[in-house]
Amino acid sequence: MAKILIIDDSALSRRMMRVILERAGHEILEAADGIIGLERYFLDKPDLVMLDLTMSGMHGLDVLEKLREMDPAARVIVATADIQSSTRTMVTTSGAKGLINKPLLEEAVLPAVTAALND
Amino acid sequence: MILSDEQKDALTELINIAFSRTAAALSDLTGQRVSLNVPNVAIHPIEELNTALSEFIIGEIASVHQIFSGPVSGDAMLMLSYEGANVLIDILTGERQGSGRMDVSGQEVIMETGNILLNACLGVFGNLLKVHVTFSVPRLHLEELNSMLDTLVIGKEELRYALIIYTTFQIKESSVTGYLIIVLGVASLDRLIHAVEEWAQINA
Repeated sequence: MAKILIIDDSALSRRMMRVILERAGHEILEAADGIIGLERYFLDKPDLVMLDLTMSGMHGLDVLEKLREMDPAARVIVATADIQSSTRTMVTTSGAKGLINKPLLEEAVLPAVTAALND
Repeated sequence: MILSDEQKDALTELINIAFSRTAAALSDLTGQRVSLNVPNVAIHPIEELNTALSEFIIGEIASVHQIFSGPVSGDAMLMLSYEGANVLIDILTGERQGSGRMDVSGQEVIMETGNILLNACLGVFGNLLKVHVTFSVPRLHLEELNSMLDTLVIGKEELRYALIIYTTFQIKESSVTGYLIIVLGVASLDRLIHAVEEWAQINA
C-alpha cells in the first residue's frame, strides 16, 4: 500500500478522495494548497500525489512544475473538474502520470492510482 | 444584436450538450437522477440584466461565480435558492444542515459543487469549439441578486449586451432547483457565434 498526498483546496474533494483511497488501503496525507503541498512532499516523500488544478494561491500546473523540479521522478495524478482535452494535453506534457475528472468516482480513481504506482 | 434562427439553433444545441454534461456530473455527485429543462438563450442589454435575471430568481440566493478567460471569456454562475443549497449540502454530506444559516463547511461544499458543474459545462464548450478556457477560483455569494451582479467582471468596454444562457435542473426526490447562467459580452459573443457556426458546419 502506498503513501498518497492529496493537494486540493476543497475539503469536500479531499474527503471524497480520502474515502476512496483509504478503502483501498492507502495511507493518506492532505494539503489544502500548493505551498503546503510542496512542503509536505519534501518532508513526507509520498509515493504519489493527487493534485487539483484550480486552487487559490498556486495553480496546480505551477505546483506540478515545482514538484518535478524538486523530484524529477515525482508521480503525480491531476484530479480536476476541468474536462477540456487541451487541459489533459497540458497536464500530460507537464509530466503528470494521469488525469482524472471530478466528480471523483472510485472506478476512475483506483485504476489510475494503480497504473501510476506500477509505472 | 440579434441571432439568426440557424445561429440560435446551433448555439442551443451546443448548450444542450454542455448542460447535459453538467447534469451528469451532478448526478454522479449526488447519486440521484437529475432532470434538465431545455436551455433558454437570450440577449439583453447589460443594464437590463438584473431585471432579466430577477424574473426567475427571487429572494436570497447561494451562487457560485466563476470567471473564465481565453478566446471566449465571461462569467459563469450556478444559482440556487438558499433553501435549495442547504438541501444539496444535506444530500452531499449525509448530514442535516437544516434551514438555518449555512456554516463554513456547507459553503465549501456548495463552492466545490459549483466548480465541478461550471467546469463540466464550460469544458464542453472548450472541447467542441477547440478553444482553451482558463477558470478562476470559484467564489461563493450569499446575498440578493443585485449585489451579486455587481461582481460581474466581463471587460468593461464590451459591457453593452450580454448573452444569458440559463436552464433549470431538478434533483429527483428532492426540492433542489438551480440555474446555470453564462454571461458574455459582445466581443466574446461574436467569437462564440463564429466558433459555433464553424462547429455546426463541420457536424452538419
